[in-house]
Amino acid sequence: MRTSGTIIIRGIVQGVGFRPFVYAKAREFGITGTVKNLGSEVEIHASGDRFEEFLEAVSRGTPLSQIDSVDVQNLRGGKTEGFTILESNSGSLSGFIPTDVAICDDCIADIFTRGGRYEGYWATSCVNCGPRYSIINTIPYDRERTSMAEFPVCPACESEYTDPACRRHHAQTIACAACGPGLALLRADGTPVAGDPIREAAALLDAGSIVAIRGIGGFHIACTEEAAGVLKCRLGRTEQPLAVMATPEEVERIAVVSDEERRILHSRERPIMVLEKRDPVSHPTISDLHTIGCMLPYTGLHHLLFANLAHPLLIMTSANLPGYPMITDLGVALERLPGQVDYILTHDRRIVNRCDDSVVRDGYIIRLSRGLAPKREAIDLGKGCILGVGPELNANISIYKGGFCITSPHVGNVRNPQTLAYLQETAERLGGLTGARYDRIVHDLHPQFLSTRYAREVAEATGAELLAVQHHRAHIAATTREECVGIAIDGVGYGDDATIWGGEVFAGRIPYLDRVAHLEVVPMPGGDLATRFPERMLYGILPTPEVRDILASRGWSDIELAVLVRQVERGLNVAATSSTGRVLDAAAALLGICRERTYDGEPAMKLESAAYAGKPSAWDLEYRQDGGCEVLSTRSLLAEACRRSAAGGRADDIAASFQYNLARGVAAMAVRAAEERGIPRVALSGGVAYNRAIRETIRTEIRNAGLEFIMNKDYPLGDGCISFGQVVYGGSVEE
Amino acid sequence: MKVNLMHGAGGEVMGELLRVITNLEHNNAGGIGLESLDDGAVIPLNGQNIVFTTDNHVVSPIFFPGGDIGRIAVCGTINDLAMMGGRPIALSCGMVIPEGFEVADLERIVASMDAALGECGANLVTGDTKVLERSALDTIVVNTAGIGVAERVVRDNGLSVGDKIIVSGTIGDHGIAIMAHREGFDFGGQIRSDVAPLWPLVEKALAAGDIHAMKDPTRGGFANAINEMARKSGVGIVIEEADLPFRASVRSAAGMLGLDPLEVANEGKVVMGVAPHDAETVLAALRSHPYGRDAAIVGEVVEGSHVVMRTAIGGERFIEPPVGDPVPRVC
Ligand SMILES: [Fe+3]
Ligand SMILES: [Mg+2]
Ligand SMILES: [Zn+2]
Ligand SMILES: [Zn+2]
Repeated sequence: MRTSGTIIIRGIVQGVGFRPFVYAKAREFGITGTVKNLGSEVEIHASGDRFEEFLEAVSRGTPLSQIDSVDVQNLRGGKTEGFTILESNSGSLSGFIPTDVAICDDCIADIFTRGGRYEGYWATSCVNCGPRYSIINTIPYDRERTSMAEFPVCPACESEYTDPACRRHHAQTIACAACGPGLALLRADGTPVAGDPIREAAALLDAGSIVAIRGIGGFHIACTEEAAGVLKCRLGRTEQPLAVMATPEEVERIAVVSDEERRILHSRERPIMVLEKRDPVSHPTISDLHTIGCMLPYTGLHHLLFANLAHPLLIMTSANLPGYPMITDLGVALERLPGQVDYILTHDRRIVNRCDDSVVRDGYIIRLSRGLAPKREAIDLGKGCILGVGPELNANISIYKGGFCITSPHVGNVRNPQTLAYLQETAERLGGLTGARYDRIVHDLHPQFLSTRYAREVAEATGAELLAVQHHRAHIAATTREECVGIAIDGVGYGDDATIWGGEVFAGRIPYLDRVAHLEVVPMPGGDLATRFPERMLYGILPTPEVRDILASRGWSDIELAVLVRQVERGLNVAATSSTGRVLDAAAALLGICRERTYDGEPAMKLESAAYAGKPSAWDLEYRQDGGCEVLSTRSLLAEACRRSAAGGRADDIAASFQYNLARGVAAMAVRAAEERGIPRVALSGGVAYNRAIRETIRTEIRNAGLEFIMNKDYPLGDGCISFGQVVYGGSVEE
Repeated sequence: MKVNLMHGAGGEVMGELLRVITNLEHNNAGGIGLESLDDGAVIPLNGQNIVFTTDNHVVSPIFFPGGDIGRIAVCGTINDLAMMGGRPIALSCGMVIPEGFEVADLERIVASMDAALGECGANLVTGDTKVLERSALDTIVVNTAGIGVAERVVRDNGLSVGDKIIVSGTIGDHGIAIMAHREGFDFGGQIRSDVAPLWPLVEKALAAGDIHAMKDPTRGGFANAINEMARKSGVGIVIEEADLPFRASVRSAAGMLGLDPLEVANEGKVVMGVAPHDAETVLAALRSHPYGRDAAIVGEVVEGSHVVMRTAIGGERFIEPPVGDPVPRVC
């Protein structure tokens, strides 16, 4: 029986109330000694008869901590009187900063406690809740290294901070109305509005105003459902579905919520959940899809706002140009938002690190951000330090070092100077926080991505080795390191053969993934123009007189049509692609569901919504061999859809069948590849896998063939997994 | 490594080939030599700056709306001299002609060369001709070289922060015209090449103000020229999309094909960096000449190293040097 020892606990132990927790346990078990935070580990010197019980208790950690290992050694140093919490030290940096978490129930109760010291205080938090990553400058996480440093605590807060019996003992974000950050309501021109900012803002929102609200990781733009049309016009985004924040009761009224979805919706990460509407055509101004993105209030400010609001629901969209970083700074908001918003509800706590809302659908992460990132994954990729700079759209970065991979929050579409600068800033900040010295930098194979340019610059500055990884291999690497048949179905990624891939089946084990099957290679007339106008894809795949007539009937001028026909004939600026997304786009175009893509994935998402009410039937599938690969003919699928449509078939049935047969065809090629090679499992990744009908068809087909089916729920299925996949891939390649 | 077509398409791949071809020790006759890869060389001689340049011309088809290979061959060399600040004096012409070529076509080409020479007072004073078997060559190749005299040499690397960027007219006309004609596109109206000898225009501009840098946006278009100027000058450039002059027909044709008119060739335009206080007078001088009617101030030189375009909808994007064929990137 030990009665003393030095305990080292490694993991996420900062900013999660670990030391006060240890202190409380020491008192409970009559232990003397000290506890100290060393960045990614705590060091406890402990003596007392009930040492073993104490050890077991502290090994369990606090709600927000994540423990990787617990080591016990002989007690270093002498015995001490009592138990004390020592100042933090920066030590090794293998652990990581906790993420921003939603306000806890205890703090919500505090805010609504009449006469309580936190009554009505918007930034109430405790050791179990509140902002973390978004306010942190450097680690170890202590108030002086966060943007809370600008708010010296008042005596009342000080006494709670030092009271080991209090929930706010050593809570770095402790603040109250007397000492903490304050709120202000401004007109769009920056002049203040008199009165209580929250009450006034709620009244203005109820009356139909559009209000920018500064939150945890950036600004939202909020308004009621009635004002949605005005907002969409002002933003110039008339089609894109908007996310809402609503009371739990309202969410249940609007959408069908499964137990699993309810758990995620209420989790402390509080992501936006993409839910199926109870009535698929309800709330059309918010979303014209059969789904709607919902989140619950997650800060004291949100709870106070809803308490004052007559409406049970607010539209909450992040304040940015599409593809550009969310606005975090009041100065920038005042410069950019007039014209979009009428008022700005702001606070004076600096947002150090931008963090968008996370988005989850069916348990799969669409956007890895607030609450979920920086994401830390224990994985052994050897001794080297690796940076993955991601792709171009929906990018983030990942850093591997010493047994852990850290993935940043969502950065955005790295195709403009601001987002490139944000990528750079994110990489530098996470690199600094983890103490990274890169041996290898992994980037996408696409020759023109700005992230590739950035990778080259870092490699040049650091002497690190550069490695290019094909986009869809990175998708599979992000899913599994085991030998597998890997299906990657998404938009477009640059392929080995300089054509554009996106409907790929691989076999092997990273880094040796052979392309064994794919969708038919079809023309993309005008390159990216065919992504924007899906009818170009339709004609590219089916250059028939019937399709020409369809386009002509939809208002294509004779000249435009003749140019398109000639372009396909001559192959001028026509790329070749096996993309799944582009085929779905073409089907959406055929059925007249979407003629112009105004946001990422729009045609395919609208096709999915159209298919929701339809009944799928099995069509004949056509395969052939090409250069050692099995190829599924998407041209014949689209031709079948065209025939059925011309024969007066229902659009919803055709849409459902098209998705079903495409999925069946991809799955069949994967099954054959697995059986031929004796591989027992099939992995799936890529943005098209968010489509429930397609994903579940593939899952069923794979399982019916007696194969294991794997997907990764910890990373996005879309391009938010690429930087992680790059790092994993990079870690599997010998130097 | 074997030479492939990408090596001739401009951009980074062509850079590889250029490194091989320009690997000479004897590359500078005392002024500006091959090493600077400017529009032409400068040789100081008896207190005069002799400018010297050469170009090979192949174009398909050889006759196109707005010009022909003869006009391009003369203008290409005259413009390269003009871009250095040089008044074109004399040109040479070497022709490699395939067996079976129509003499009538040759007559048209030569007449068109003569007209272009006449526009700027230059003369074609020496030449050479080879005829090759049909199997060895399927089209005519015209080489021209030329000398000029520059009172003040203008480089492509002289931009300094604050300079205004001026283009002398609409962008992308030549590339889109050639492509439309060659591939048989009907855009509902004829698009004409802008091929023109620029010396008279440049002469007016030089007299009007302090021009820090000049380049003709030929292969790789405006995108390539502006990046090269920025890189060689060690500066950044901000371009205002709304100020870029395009012919509506060119813009819509490029739009229908998914091409970026900034990345296609021009044969009668100049991009210049002008001291800010002289920008308006230089602009006025350019606009007073028929070839500069649509001239516009399109941007400004800033600190940094990138060429950024402020888009009409309030965003920003990089203008990058083209790498040959565009590759789709939208996911
Ligand atoms: Fe992808
Ligand atoms: Mg030249
Ligand atoms: Zn709390
Ligand atoms: Zn206080």
